[in-house]
Amino acid sequence: MNSILSFVALVLVLHFGFALLALSQDRNWRLVVAAPSLSRVAKITLRIAGYALLALGLSLALWRDGPGFGSLMWGTLISLAACAVTMILSWRAHWMTPLGSAIRATTSHHSAKPR
Amino acid sequence: MEPTFRQSMDWLHTWAGVVLGGLLFAIFWMGTLAVFDREIDRWMMPMTRLTIPETNISFDALRPSYEAAVKARAPVWSVILPTEREPVLWLAYNDVSGQVRQFIDPSTGAALPDPGTLAGRRFIYPFHYMLHIRFQQIGIWLVGLASMAMLALCISGVVIHRKIFADFFTFRPRKQPRRMLLDLHNVAGVLGLPFHVVITLSGLIIFWSIYFPSGWQTAYPNQQTLNVEAFGIYARSKLNKPGELASLDAMVAEMQRLWSGDRPSSIQVYHPGDAGAYVRISRLGTNRVTRLTDVASFDAATGALLHHSVAPRPVMNGQRFIAGLHQIQFRHWMLRWFYFVLGLSGCVMIAAGYLYWIDARRKRHAQAGVPGVRIVEDLTIGGTTGIVIATLAFFVANRLLPLGTTFAGYERAALEVWAFYLVWIAAFGHAWLRPSRAWIEQCWTIAAFGVAAVALNWITTGAHLVRSLMHPHLWSVAGMDLLLLVGAATAALTARKLRCRAAGASAGAANVRSAELYPAE
Repeated sequence: MNSILSFVALVLVLHFGFALLALSQDRNWRLVVAAPSLSRVAKITLRIAGYALLALGLSLALWRDGPGFGSLMWGTLISLAACAVTMILSWRAHWMTPLGSAIRATTSHHSAKPR
Repeated sequence: MEPTFRQSMDWLHTWAGVVLGGLLFAIFWMGTLAVFDREIDRWMMPMTRLTIPETNISFDALRPSYEAAVKARAPVWSVILPTEREPVLWLAYNDVSGQVRQFIDPSTGAALPDPGTLAGRRFIYPFHYMLHIRFQQIGIWLVGLASMAMLALCISGVVIHRKIFADFFTFRPRKQPRRMLLDLHNVAGVLGLPFHVVITLSGLIIFWSIYFPSGWQTAYPNQQTLNVEAFGIYARSKLNKPGELASLDAMVAEMQRLWSGDRPSSIQVYHPGDAGAYVRISRLGTNRVTRLTDVASFDAATGALLHHSVAPRPVMNGQRFIAGLHQIQFRHWMLRWFYFVLGLSGCVMIAAGYLYWIDARRKRHAQAGVPGVRIVEDLTIGGTTGIVIATLAFFVANRLLPLGTTFAGYERAALEVWAFYLVWIAAFGHAWLRPSRAWIEQCWTIAAFGVAAVALNWITTGAHLVRSLMHPHLWSVAGMDLLLLVGAATAALTARKLRCRAAGASAGAANVRSAELYPAE
């Protein structure tokens, strides 16, 4: 059971990592959210968060499967997770709308000027 | 010489791809299938679809086979032990008629009928790394050349990709075919890049002693000395005096004790029947990525431990890890499936690259009367859908030919291989004769052969999909059947789509022609 849960967590972490990286790009952002481009700071924040999730995925894989199998799991899963994000953007971009809306709400909240 | 570095790389990428892409596709396709070589074996050798017994196997009970090897004056007698993926025990030795191979049911000890096939492990897997061209190791060298080209293609592909980061997640299936093909080539290439580079480089590193012999020749006087130090291989000469064989079970028990309970993968007796005979026991290492070199050698007559390999040095340990990650002999089903999917992505990348090249030049070559596109397209069809059809023909022939069949002096295993090569040649011929319909017709053939293979497996063995899914020891068969059906469905959908597109294109051309003949008043 733990093995299944940790695998699901690994897949989700890598998938969300690539989803954040994809949404930090103007073309994908407009495709998913249909809103003006993100600010430069927001884009950089998304990229840092995306890369951080990929690094977290590596730690999770190494913890779950050890250095040998863990590095191979991460090395193969990053390709598959990036491919999954690409296919979703190509065929079912609206699946990423909730994530895009959440990012939009967070970034607009942070960029709102204090009264 | 091209004026800029990027243009030089573009030239290299294009021509290395066009010239060696077909060979690379064959290597990738067979390598992808070899990920499941043991499972293919179970499908093609129904007599080996067995369960492993829970009790320990007695190796001393195999003595009659050893005595036969002694009588045949065989240089070595080998036992490969059953594993989860290969639940049979097999014995091998050479006699005057050639190699004697015998499969044994590990539960009963009974000899199984000769499977009469090379199947996955002896046809598909060796094809992947040496194309079955043994003469002067030409096959291994050709694969090495293709691997070097693949590395050059990966690097030049990154250099010439103008918007590698901007287009990282870009695949536009609804755009015009040429754009879509380039996107598909880029996505499969860029997203699969870590896998493609690592798997290609590791393939080269496995054969380091062949590709870079000067490396070890400077440090060792001969291959035997290298083998002793690098792989812990012990060897000694025959004494030409009769000798006995002590208990193999006792030797195995001793090694299991020293290997913290790990099981052996194989036992080999060198110089059987001679006083100089020695027993080599290799350790099974399916619980780690690294391909172990742990071997122990015993004196056959006394059962005394003669030599036990020590842990390899760091460089060799690195080589064994790299070899292990390529050869995936470890027990990790998830990784096995990931390798399979990423291997297929390599095939898609190569095929999409060819299709893009063809589409980008079709009009220009037709106008200039250059046959380049025609030739490359024929070779692409034969090299991609053709090899898939040939592989399926290999499976279908396996289920159609009864055990023991011989024809024109060829045994069943050879006939299956003939079926593969003849169908492959026919696929090239078909592409040449029917260029406009070849893609569609070959896709339909893949669909038909895929379904036929599953149906024939059911008819000849009784293992239909529901039955094989219900019995864990038949899951390898179920997996193979499912992949055949998924492949057949994908090919049928592709054929339908291509037919619709061809019909649309010819209707469009007819409209253009009628508009030219009867212009609007």
